[in-house]
Amino acid sequence: MTNERPLEYQRFNLTFRIQHIILMVTFLLLAFTGWALKYPEPALEHAGWWIRMWGGPKSAGVIHRISGLIMIVDFLWHCIYIAYQLLTGKMKFHPDTTVVPLPRDVKNAVQNINYFVGLSKTKPKFGKYSYIQKFDYWAPFWGMAIIGLSGLVLTFPTKAAILFPQWSVNWIWELLFVLHSDEALLAITYIFMMHFYAEHLKLENFPMSMTWITGKIPLKKMKNEHSLEYELEFGKNKGDDK
Amino acid sequence: MRLFLVSVFLWLPLLFFAYSVNAEVCLICHSAMNGKVRTEKGILIELNIDENRFSKSVHSGLECTMCHKTYTDNPHEPQTGEVSKNITDLAALISHKVKMDPIAYASCVKCHEDVYKSLSESVHGKNIMEKKQKDGPLCLDCHGSPHYIMPGSSTESHVNRWKIVNTCGECHEKKDLAEKYSLGMHIIEKYNESFHGKKHKLGHAGAPTCVNCHGAHGIKKWDDPASPVSWEKRIETCGKCHKGANKKFVAAITHKPVGKDNPIPFYGEKGLIILTAATLIFVIMHVFLEAYADIRDHIFRKKEEPHD
Repeated sequence: MTNERPLEYQRFNLTFRIQHIILMVTFLLLAFTGWALKYPEPALEHAGWWIRMWGGPKSAGVIHRISGLIMIVDFLWHCIYIAYQLLTGKMKFHPDTTVVPLPRDVKNAVQNINYFVGLSKTKPKFGKYSYIQKFDYWAPFWGMAIIGLSGLVLTFPTKAAILFPQWSVNWIWELLFVLHSDEALLAITYIFMMHFYAEHLKLENFPMSMTWITGKIPLKKMKNEHSLEYELEFGKNKGDDK
Repeated sequence: MRLFLVSVFLWLPLLFFAYSVNAEVCLICHSAMNGKVRTEKGILIELNIDENRFSKSVHSGLECTMCHKTYTDNPHEPQTGEVSKNITDLAALISHKVKMDPIAYASCVKCHEDVYKSLSESVHGKNIMEKKQKDGPLCLDCHGSPHYIMPGSSTESHVNRWKIVNTCGECHEKKDLAEKYSLGMHIIEKYNESFHGKKHKLGHAGAPTCVNCHGAHGIKKWDDPASPVSWEKRIETCGKCHKGANKKFVAAITHKPVGKDNPIPFYGEKGLIILTAATLIFVIMHVFLEAYADIRDHIFRKKEEPHD
């Protein structure tokens, strides 16, 4: 009976995995080269080893711009792909599998933190995406929109200037500089805290969860961490038909 | 006795060069002097010249007396060569700022006449020569001692492109000067925070410094229509690097901190900082709590493996 079930469950298809890998590579390149500009050190002095690693300020600038453009394309590809899947019915909205934030996520978060500190005996049950994973999705989503747009403006400043309303020109540049670099810093810190803990440091994942390469999640893990999705997919009780 | 003989020999060369006093002769003594001397006017001056540095400077080929046309103090014979009128005129204009030897100072004009001309028309020069103020730079304030001037391409030059921002900042970071002449208060700081300044700090050869936009010797105040950064000329100036620069684009750089008069970016930035800080605090707390709970569960609440 249980043998009929696979040992792993296909969590992400190939397209999503490729999108994630492109995002990861461009994100790291952007973060590394952007960091050198946010906290500049003279390239020819000892402290400038970081910018020298990227071939000096000019080459770092080229890497940053190209990576940025690839990331924007990746972002658009993802949006179009999702829209296409929804329109053709290959992907359907269901509260247990959606990445869209729902009121239950707030409840889950409160219960989960209560569980951390010992105020609750049980962990909340999650769907395909826990509230942390939803955060993990929407934080870069928002970040890419804001940082991508401001980055485009800063890459093509003379052309973008034509689009600005006259009353904004005295401050919009300043705001864009701040927006671009502060949001980037937030994104970097977020990834290195939350994402690294969840996917690398957590005991069951250490040293790394393989899902991003194989797209598969062990069924046991799915049952523990995404129980609502598991129940939706395989039925509530053992041996039940789907 | 022996010492006496030596000292006589030391003075001997002076006899041979009495009529063409070139730098080497002066340097026999003036490269071996310690301490400072108080002149008749009561100014402490350093008389020593670092021979090594002087020999590397662009002025090493000049004779001392080309600039030091008048000197009287012992042990020299008073020098009473004629001084051309443009030098004496200029010396009179700057004598309130240059106490030591205005003639020597004004002698720069002998070779650098065009530079002095544009300086005298600049906001810096006018403040000294017309308004008779002591503030504002003359040659030496930016270029350093004339004895050690290095070519602009040398990083030892005070006006080299990697040094010039600090050189300008020597005055333009001073609060009292900024208040006296109602100058921008944080211009160097804002430049350093800007993309131009950050690229410059990194060593980007194309990043503009102060002088690339504002001009150098003939510098004007930014609201003077003749200034390259005036609203009239700014599109042209920015357009040197940013092709297609237009009126809305050139408003980007003001070197002014954002104040409450621009509420959208002022509170926008504050809001952004609060949002960023709040997210970070939440994320960090969550990660630490989760790690704590994971470790606790692993050690104290070992569950049975859920059998499938």
